[in-house]
Amino acid sequence: MHTRTMLLVGSAALALLAGTARAGQYVDWNADGTATLKLGPEYDNARITVPQSMLGSAFGPGKQPFKGVTISVTVNGAGPKGGISGPLYSFRPIWEEISGGKVNIVELPFAEHYTKMMLDLRNGTGQYDAFMVGAFWYGDIVPAGYGYQIDDLMKSGKYPQWSYDVMPPSLKTLHQWEGKSYGVLNDADGQVLYYRKSALENPEHRAAFKAQFGYDLPSPPATWQQLLDISKYFNGKNWDKNDAEPDSGTVLHLKVGEQGHYHFQSLSASFVINPGDKVTRTQNVYWFDPADMKPLINSPGHVKALEFLQELHKTGPAAQVGWSLGEAWDYFLRGKAVFVFSWGDVGALCQDKARSKIPGDCAAAMLPSSNEYWDFAKQSWVKLDKPRPVGNTTGGSWHGVISNYSANPEATYSFLSLMAIPPVSKLMAMYGWDGVDPGFSYQFLEEDGGTARLDEYVKAGWDPNDAKTYTKAYKALFYAPTTLTYLRIPGTFEYWDILDKNLSAAMSGAKNAKQALDDTAAAWQGVTNRIGRDKQLADYRAAIGYKE
Amino acid sequence: MRWTGRIRFLFLAPAVLWVLAFTVFPLGYSLYLAFFKVEQKVEIKRVQQPVLDDQGRPLLEDGQPKLRNVVLRETVTTTTFIGLDNFRRLLADPQVADAVRVTLVFLLLAVPAEIGLGFLLALLFNRRIMGRSVLRAAMILPIFATPLAVGYVFFTIFYEVGGPLAWTGIPWLSNPTWALVSVALVDIWQWTPFCFLVILAALQAVPDDLYEAARIDGASNWDLLTKVLVPLLTPTFVIVLLIRLAEALKLFDIPFAMTGGGPGTATQPYSMLAFRTGLRFFDLGYASAMAYGLLAVVMVVITLFFRRMRESYG
Amino acid sequence: MAEPAARRGASLADGLASLAAVLVAFVFLFPIYWAFSQSLRNPLDTFTVAGFGIPWVNFTPTLANWIDQVGTPETLRSLANSTIVASGAAALALLLGTPAAYAVARFRFARWKNRDITIWFLSQRVLPPVATVVPFYLVMRALGLLDTHLALILVNATFVLPFVVVILRQTFLDLPLELEEAALVDGASHWGAFWRIALPLAAPTLAATGLIVFAFTWNEFLFAVALSSRNAITVPVHIAGAVDTRGVQFWFMGVRAMTAIVPPVLIALLAQRYIVRGLTLGAVKG
Repeated sequence: MHTRTMLLVGSAALALLAGTARAGQYVDWNADGTATLKLGPEYDNARITVPQSMLGSAFGPGKQPFKGVTISVTVNGAGPKGGISGPLYSFRPIWEEISGGKVNIVELPFAEHYTKMMLDLRNGTGQYDAFMVGAFWYGDIVPAGYGYQIDDLMKSGKYPQWSYDVMPPSLKTLHQWEGKSYGVLNDADGQVLYYRKSALENPEHRAAFKAQFGYDLPSPPATWQQLLDISKYFNGKNWDKNDAEPDSGTVLHLKVGEQGHYHFQSLSASFVINPGDKVTRTQNVYWFDPADMKPLINSPGHVKALEFLQELHKTGPAAQVGWSLGEAWDYFLRGKAVFVFSWGDVGALCQDKARSKIPGDCAAAMLPSSNEYWDFAKQSWVKLDKPRPVGNTTGGSWHGVISNYSANPEATYSFLSLMAIPPVSKLMAMYGWDGVDPGFSYQFLEEDGGTARLDEYVKAGWDPNDAKTYTKAYKALFYAPTTLTYLRIPGTFEYWDILDKNLSAAMSGAKNAKQALDDTAAAWQGVTNRIGRDKQLADYRAAIGYKE
Repeated sequence: MRWTGRIRFLFLAPAVLWVLAFTVFPLGYSLYLAFFKVEQKVEIKRVQQPVLDDQGRPLLEDGQPKLRNVVLRETVTTTTFIGLDNFRRLLADPQVADAVRVTLVFLLLAVPAEIGLGFLLALLFNRRIMGRSVLRAAMILPIFATPLAVGYVFFTIFYEVGGPLAWTGIPWLSNPTWALVSVALVDIWQWTPFCFLVILAALQAVPDDLYEAARIDGASNWDLLTKVLVPLLTPTFVIVLLIRLAEALKLFDIPFAMTGGGPGTATQPYSMLAFRTGLRFFDLGYASAMAYGLLAVVMVVITLFFRRMRESYG
Repeated sequence: MAEPAARRGASLADGLASLAAVLVAFVFLFPIYWAFSQSLRNPLDTFTVAGFGIPWVNFTPTLANWIDQVGTPETLRSLANSTIVASGAAALALLLGTPAAYAVARFRFARWKNRDITIWFLSQRVLPPVATVVPFYLVMRALGLLDTHLALILVNATFVLPFVVVILRQTFLDLPLELEEAALVDGASHWGAFWRIALPLAAPTLAATGLIVFAFTWNEFLFAVALSSRNAITVPVHIAGAVDTRGVQFWFMGVRAMTAIVPPVLIALLAQRYIVRGLTLGAVKG
């Protein structure tokens, strides 16, 4: 409140000086045709200056196109300083000032967000104008006609200007459905490997590793099998001197109902996905057989990957079976594990000295891949001499989708778009607390074909080496020649919930890998039959781009 | 002697009608849902309507009527009779079998322990104890502590790296068997005080001369306990047992907060499965069938309970 | 009162028993203490504090979490919502339940006997909420009451009604019949006897019963999470919201857990005398 008052006084004074320009509390309309967005302390009071045209023709000095309009946006509850929800709080006053409208932020517990959204849509209550969705909810939203198509709004030029062109194709498809656009750019999710470079390059450890395993310790590992060896080597030794306790190999977040299944998805991709130029019955498929919706989830490739994950789990703290993301990340950030494979949040949080003991020793790399995969066509294993990188877009890539029941889709779109314009999106990806992760061209470094400069990251508090490997890893991940197919058909949440429970049972030792995945497949058949096999088949084919 | 007179119905009617409206009707509706498949499709139309002022006249803006966006919706409902399909599915569903097993194991772990511990504590507190009323009051707190909050608090207590019970080395929440034990322990923490209070009240109602008489007969402490107190308290034990059974079947908040039903489904009780089926995955008909499965079990407990209760309300 | 006579004067045994009782009470209070201790810690102290986490001894306490959490509009709104819903449900349940309790205590019903009526009320309490949550949801949707205080008041009043009937039935039975009969002889109606004689005499129990059902409603989670989505979110639902995509934030959870637990626990202490009777649905007088 106090700072706001001060700002108000300050900007009033500025307005007097600026003449034709118009200064506001949160936005200055400058005389040179630019506008300056003024952010709060959570973004280090950053000032973002853009051409006024980037904000769209509907906005400008003296214009308040949405006066009297109130919009409600749902988001996973995390508070004004939490992941994904935080930026809504930061940009709300800016939008309210230039539009004259009001934003109602509805935070919902992660476990209830999907439910509340679907209840609103199914009942046609229309309580919410937009949802910050995970891309895996599309199958429940778009085919049923609940999503508001945004192509016309994007083309109109009236609202803040951004484009899908900055996205890798693997992420772009997550915002569209059969070529029509629904999602407003925000977050980019995918799992990369984070490793403790100092440990992996320590000569003593390298010598001891070679003596034990018979080959040079690769830094970073190129195959999952190498990663397992390294994890085994470091587990139980006190190789990190931040405390006197023994440390671990790989730390995982495996709590049921808390996104633990994503570890399995990212890891198993290279055990399962058969390479090829297009989607066929056997190539580039992961979830179901596109001919008949028979689950593939219990294929030998999937089973072997799960057995591998069980082995890897033994190199981490046993308690991680009950850990969600935060606990596992904190374990890595405290220097207790040599590897974690997770989202972009980790790289950014590593730089946060209040939470991390390892800034500057938090390198990132594309995920390793398996040295063999299961060939669906030949029904046999294919051994690889050279590991082939398999990318993933694992996660939600949380972003706004407008409800078809919204009475004010234009206002809602303009609010979401304000957070999607390149300079804003770029800034958000540099901060760890806001949960917005990088994946777009202006977030990659020039040396990797992007447009960001290293000094921008350094200015935002990054260690230059961490920033370099981090952006490189994400570039490689999202542009990999082969990518894990993303599931977004009706009922995806339920399919994943079943998988998640069975994976958790396998990781806690209640079921063996084969049993867990066989049970998953059987339960999936039930879901498919209930929703309707023909309908599911059609949506699945549309979602993965399979043509008979 | 009790009065008669028609006005008695007026005293009774509001509550009876209320209960009928708010439980019998929903239960009937639920039964309907179990036998029918109800599908809804909402169709929408976007229109612009003039904004009206206080007198109901269209508001003008720059000479034009001011318009606002309105979304009109029409709901089309289709209903198909599917008979016993949902109930057949219930019997064949491995998830249901698993949730029933979890619930039963939980009951067996928690309820006897609560009654046994409650009895022991009642015996302890039945002695001359310093500050008894304060200590007794302290024991009441768990019963009224918000169960959902309790679940989260115990999540931090059972935390295996750095939690207050970490020194035991027990995998409280990461091992499927222990996780269920942990859920039972929380329930024991919360409900032993209840058993304790009730049994203590019954103990304190035992007349002194009964002890004296037993003493004179030369009974040992053990004899006093097994031959006098236990038979005397049996009706109390039965009531406590039935109340705890009925309440424990509702188990939901604690695993919801503490384990999310995991690892796997190791701590997912029946009511949690039914809730998720109905209100997360919108399989309303099947959820209703599940509810009726639970109701059938509860009816047995209720019948036993009320056969016992009739004596108290004679 | 009821100690075995032979035990009197066995002071060593009683001393040991007192010690044991104190230890037991400590065990039962520890979790609430632990939540309080957590709420005073910096995030970095969450997993690294040794022993029993005693403020100032094991770590330097901070009020930052309390200031962060209690000040937010969401926390204040959930506290207000819970207060409104719990008071509303308690008032409504008393309004409906008190005359009904009076009826079964004072009048004779023939076709359905008094005890059958009482038992029928009680059976509502044993009903598993999960069996009615879906139909309740659909009913509230049809009435346009989703996400309103009224919906939660209606539901909770239904579920606490049995307590009211049972506790007050016993209270009316314990009142001397003569006063009301004298009033009737003086020409008062049954309603008058109830309103002017019985009700004022039962007022203390009435208040205690109100408090107990207030606490029950305050703690209710299942219906609250099913029926509220934005405006009517109660404290337990708000607590569940401290869990985000990244997991439980222990330090905030401590604060939220305390704000949830303290009011009903204080109430329990106030209404102690009536708790046994209420919780056993009148089967044990306590």
